[in-house]
Amino acid sequence: MSTHTQAVAKPHPIRKGILTVVLNFICIVFSLTCIFPIIWMFYSSLKEKRVFNADIVGLPKNPTLINYIRILGNSDYHLGESMMNSVRTTGLSIILIVLFSFIVGYILARVRFKLNRPLYVMFLMGMLIPIHSLLVPIYVVFKKCGISDQWYTLLLPYVSFALPMGIFLVEGYVKSIPVSLEEAAAIDGSGFSYTLWHIILPICKPILVTVAIIQIFSCWNEFSFALVLMKNVHLQTVPLALTQFKGQFASDYPKQMAAMLITMSPIVVLYFVFSKQIIEGMVAGAVKG
Amino acid sequence: MLNSIKPKGRTVFLYLLVPVVFFVFTVFVPLVTAFVYSFFEWKGGPKKTFIGIDNYVQLFHDATFWQSFGHNIYLVIACLIGQIGIAFIMVMIVNSKVVKLKGIHRTFGFFPSTISAVCLGLIWNMIYHNQYGIINWFLRLIGRDDLCKVWLNEPKLVMLLVSIPLIWQYIGYYMVIILSAISSIDTEIFESAEIDGANGVQRALYITLPLIKNTMLVCITLCVAGNMKAFDNIFVMTKGGPGTASMVMAMYGYQISFNQSNMGYGSCISVGIFVLAMLVIGGSQALVKLLTREKEA
Repeated sequence: MSTHTQAVAKPHPIRKGILTVVLNFICIVFSLTCIFPIIWMFYSSLKEKRVFNADIVGLPKNPTLINYIRILGNSDYHLGESMMNSVRTTGLSIILIVLFSFIVGYILARVRFKLNRPLYVMFLMGMLIPIHSLLVPIYVVFKKCGISDQWYTLLLPYVSFALPMGIFLVEGYVKSIPVSLEEAAAIDGSGFSYTLWHIILPICKPILVTVAIIQIFSCWNEFSFALVLMKNVHLQTVPLALTQFKGQFASDYPKQMAAMLITMSPIVVLYFVFSKQIIEGMVAGAVKG
Repeated sequence: MLNSIKPKGRTVFLYLLVPVVFFVFTVFVPLVTAFVYSFFEWKGGPKKTFIGIDNYVQLFHDATFWQSFGHNIYLVIACLIGQIGIAFIMVMIVNSKVVKLKGIHRTFGFFPSTISAVCLGLIWNMIYHNQYGIINWFLRLIGRDDLCKVWLNEPKLVMLLVSIPLIWQYIGYYMVIILSAISSIDTEIFESAEIDGANGVQRALYITLPLIKNTMLVCITLCVAGNMKAFDNIFVMTKGGPGTASMVMAMYGYQISFNQSNMGYGSCISVGIFVLAMLVIGGSQALVKLLTREKEA
């Protein structure tokens, strides 16, 4: 707050005071509504069902971990299993997305060949295609090829749908690197692959991190394709497991909340530890993509 | 061009092969398949009968499909106003000099958009629940038991009720995008406007808004595209019900294809979603460009 602008605007001190209080109040209310649900879920998950049903908003008087113990202790709920599936699917997807985006983005930015522009347009179209119109068709094709309901099934849609944005971010980034760098490398006897992996890759690290950040969240949270493609309860991902959990415990809210918090925990921790980088990455992805 | 930048064709081919095959197989093959199957009567079994454009004729007269398309449009409009409108107002408030804890507001505000739509749908189900929901708890607290109801069973209210979580989830997302656009504007512009006597609202409308036009365009595109594909929330909260009062296109396609296993018609709906979504996204962009151009003239 600079004294210079205050002197110019000269607002009435009381009016300014009220304005300060009101504006801060609005912001605080807004922030609270954004995190209230998760706080409510957290302390409610420490209640037993009976206690919760008697008083849904109050803080727990005798906090208990019984819900967590019951959920994690019973393998019929597949919660641990689905967490592992989500971790594997997300992890592998991210690796492939970053790898493919990097390779294709670099080649499209630098290498001249006849199919360069057609490929570029093809990936551009991938960004425009409303992917939810593919829900049913992908099921049909995957079923026919016998690749639905496998541990690797979800990698295909997750990687493919993330590729266009990744490629464009990398392509734009590579174009900002001076070509002289690669020319110098070539003079020193570096081949295409060596330049790609040892010179360009380290430079592209920031943009690849951005791509990974954006996609971690969308892969972990993706629901509709998992719903359609995965029928095997032992292979289902977290969001899918949660919807089934809801069916089993329609009226046991504390248990549902405990389950949700467990499955959210990796994302929540990741978010609050790296929130600055994540927000920046998401904004970059949204605006440039 | 040196060798390093002009590698052998074979090398490039090998590098591109896997990603391109991956992409074509998952995006374009299903698209073509859907188009082909949309001309067949096919109930998911081995028997497929070619029926020409009958599916499309049926789709054209399918009141439920057009109703769900209307609901998609409803969501788009509600979210354009709700998400981007509220986000813009919040940005103006958060950005004002008197507000403290800007970083916290940004972090907390953005948080809901990182949570899965399934979780949020479940949470909002709890909020709307007739017996254990927070809304009814509040109504009972203030002694208005008569207003308590099974919220998501009200056909007239249900679209509004499912759009509230969607709006709420993404206000912070757009807020952060707009904030970052504004932070790149030179602060001197605001200072000189202030000296010229422009108040907060005037500054927002006549200085900030025109300067971040491109970012707003991005936000609008994201918002339109995002709501044309609405599915997760609806699936978790209402499954399109009561009746078809909150049906959206993706949900309808899913029900026809998997609950009634009418794959032929389901494929036809998929093509319909594809075409309509492209039209709406393209149309909205053209409209926004037209409107902003007029303003400049």
